[in-house]
Amino acid sequence: MNVTLLLQLAVSGFLLGGVYSLIALGLSLIFGVMKVINFAHGEMMVWGMYVAYTLLLWTGVDPFLSFLVSAACLFLLGYALQRTVVNRIIDFPEAMQVLPLVGMGMVFENSARLVWGPDYISPRSRFSLSSLSLGDLMIDVPKLLAFSLAIIITIAVLLFLKKTDTGKAIRAAADNRTGALLVGTDVNRIYAVCFGIGAACVGAAGGLLVPIMPLSPHIGAPFTLLSFIIVILGGMGSLSGAMVGGLIIGVAESIGPELITSLFHGAGLDLDFPHTMKQVVSFFILIVIMLLRPQGIFGGRRG
Amino acid sequence: MKKLSRKTFLRRPWGVGVMAIILVFPSLLFSQPKEIPIGSVQAVTGVISDIGIAMRRGNQLAVDDINARGGIKSMGGAKLKLLLADYEAKEEVARSESERLIKEGAVCLVGPFLSGAAMTVATLCEQRSIPFVIDVAAADDITQKGFKHTFRTFAISTNFANNMLLYMTQIMKEKNVSRIRGVVTNTGDLFGRVQGATFLKFVKEKKFPIDVLAHIEYPLGIQDLSAEVSKIKTLKPDVLFPITRPGDAKLMVTELYKQRVPLMGILGPGSPGLYEPEFIRDMKALSEYVMDNVPWVNPKGKMYAEVNARFSKLYPGKYIDTNSGYAYLAVMVIADALERAKSTKSADLVAALRKTYLRQDLMVGGAVTFDAKGDNSNADSAMIQIQGGAVKVVLPDKAAEAKYVFPWPKQLWDRGM
Repeated sequence: MNVTLLLQLAVSGFLLGGVYSLIALGLSLIFGVMKVINFAHGEMMVWGMYVAYTLLLWTGVDPFLSFLVSAACLFLLGYALQRTVVNRIIDFPEAMQVLPLVGMGMVFENSARLVWGPDYISPRSRFSLSSLSLGDLMIDVPKLLAFSLAIIITIAVLLFLKKTDTGKAIRAAADNRTGALLVGTDVNRIYAVCFGIGAACVGAAGGLLVPIMPLSPHIGAPFTLLSFIIVILGGMGSLSGAMVGGLIIGVAESIGPELITSLFHGAGLDLDFPHTMKQVVSFFILIVIMLLRPQGIFGGRRG
Repeated sequence: MKKLSRKTFLRRPWGVGVMAIILVFPSLLFSQPKEIPIGSVQAVTGVISDIGIAMRRGNQLAVDDINARGGIKSMGGAKLKLLLADYEAKEEVARSESERLIKEGAVCLVGPFLSGAAMTVATLCEQRSIPFVIDVAAADDITQKGFKHTFRTFAISTNFANNMLLYMTQIMKEKNVSRIRGVVTNTGDLFGRVQGATFLKFVKEKKFPIDVLAHIEYPLGIQDLSAEVSKIKTLKPDVLFPITRPGDAKLMVTELYKQRVPLMGILGPGSPGLYEPEFIRDMKALSEYVMDNVPWVNPKGKMYAEVNARFSKLYPGKYIDTNSGYAYLAVMVIADALERAKSTKSADLVAALRKTYLRQDLMVGGAVTFDAKGDNSNADSAMIQIQGGAVKVVLPDKAAEAKYVFPWPKQLWDRGM
């Protein structure tokens, strides 16, 4: 078993997992409060990426700064989407909630294709090619930065929900919608703000991903699925669950194929676990967690 | 409302005018050359929408060119009409969209880049007796089912592997390299798998002096290759033989740079992603010296110069490459067959396609002509290399624009990026 390789994979996976967590955080927040699954989540992330890319192109501002603009733009988009589409379907059965949001995902994807074209774009930014070496280990600087910022944003969102009045109102509306209405909370506005914050999280994650992966209009959908897995794994609606779930999936997908191959070889089998089946590892973990703890790792009774 | 009878119609001055025009110029009604619909099945959205759009543009440019030259002359100057379909890089959509095109009257289909989709469309066309000309799709299997209606202008995987070893032999001999330690990577779709497996099979069967240290497959549309490149790094190969697509090609090169993987070179055994304008634009110095064995344009061809000039003018920043080039050529093949068949009937068109001998100097290789299986016997590949920010043909010697550089003179991280 090649320990250096496994360590390297664990580090890369862990760092990427931090960004996955931020993407999933938005989904989890929206679900936790409104019980709506945002199936346009990945496509909204792509819009966040394009906003940061456009700023880089026009003004040269690094995506590690302009992710704030992505977050702001996506907040507005999320707010508007909640007011115009999501609010109308909030009491519908789940199956009917899916369709408008899947449809919005298509609208986002194809409008991005119209605006920015279909090509894969890997813009050069200040840190996009940086790496640090720690002995035999290589630390990818953009991933490290994205990871650190993702953790900071997550903590900020948690603090916002705990300490501010709006945050408390969001939690109240999540806990008991009727109760929140009765004490005079403008639940519709709170829902829209909450959807905006969820969208801002994914927009920020998009901005942070610009130096890490090539962007193209269609890359969103797999991220919706990924964040869905993370959210179920961590516990539906649990924000710390999304954080831990992201890290678990990041590490598992990175290290899984090599670790399983090593185990096969250790058992005397001449078998390689193909990298094409990376996602099998995440789904396997998901199934195990579902069997042992159906409410997810951090899911409470509500989960 | 009052009904307009023949009498009242003729009593009106404009009614008389219309009748007069019809009587005097009957050609307006009767001898207008009819349109011949051809279905273009390309993936203009989805994982490879960049390639799909380039290919649709190639198809369309060829149709426009034929129409500008007076259409299909043997059929009274009938114009071609391109019916468009987008299969979103999904096989099941390729089938349903092709079905739609056939219902809308397409006399022949052209497309679709992805080998998996090509297989689906070929099966459908066989059932519906509609001729299908594959512009790009390389997996050997497509034409090995005994289909009577499928023709392929593109090179097949076996041809790629054969040429790759031919070029490798020359490079290794000229550069005094006796053995190469290599890693083969490919995407996990039908094309990637067949292309990777065929290359590996040839290396093994011909006992070619490449020690394959690992064969790594990853999903099409992957967005993180750090794990795969970490593995490559521990194996310490001399050469990477990747079969990529535009997105993962960029990820691969960037990761190789960031993880400081020393190499003698990157040599694609037949790989998209390594020659598109966006690869050079975004990767800059990192794209330098990357080599790829592809059915490339013929840089010395008159037809190439002419078509490429118009394509680049229409779509600034783009040029005719493997995909748009073959997309153009395939429509030319259909037009040539229609010209000789003088009919749009499937049987006549298939018979004409079977007898195709279309001289061309748009792509490397000779005139397009189909063997018993429907494969273009003269489709060929060239070794290209990115030099000075442009794609240059470096092998075979007869088509070469520049001398190849191997091993690369500077590692990726020494190129001042």
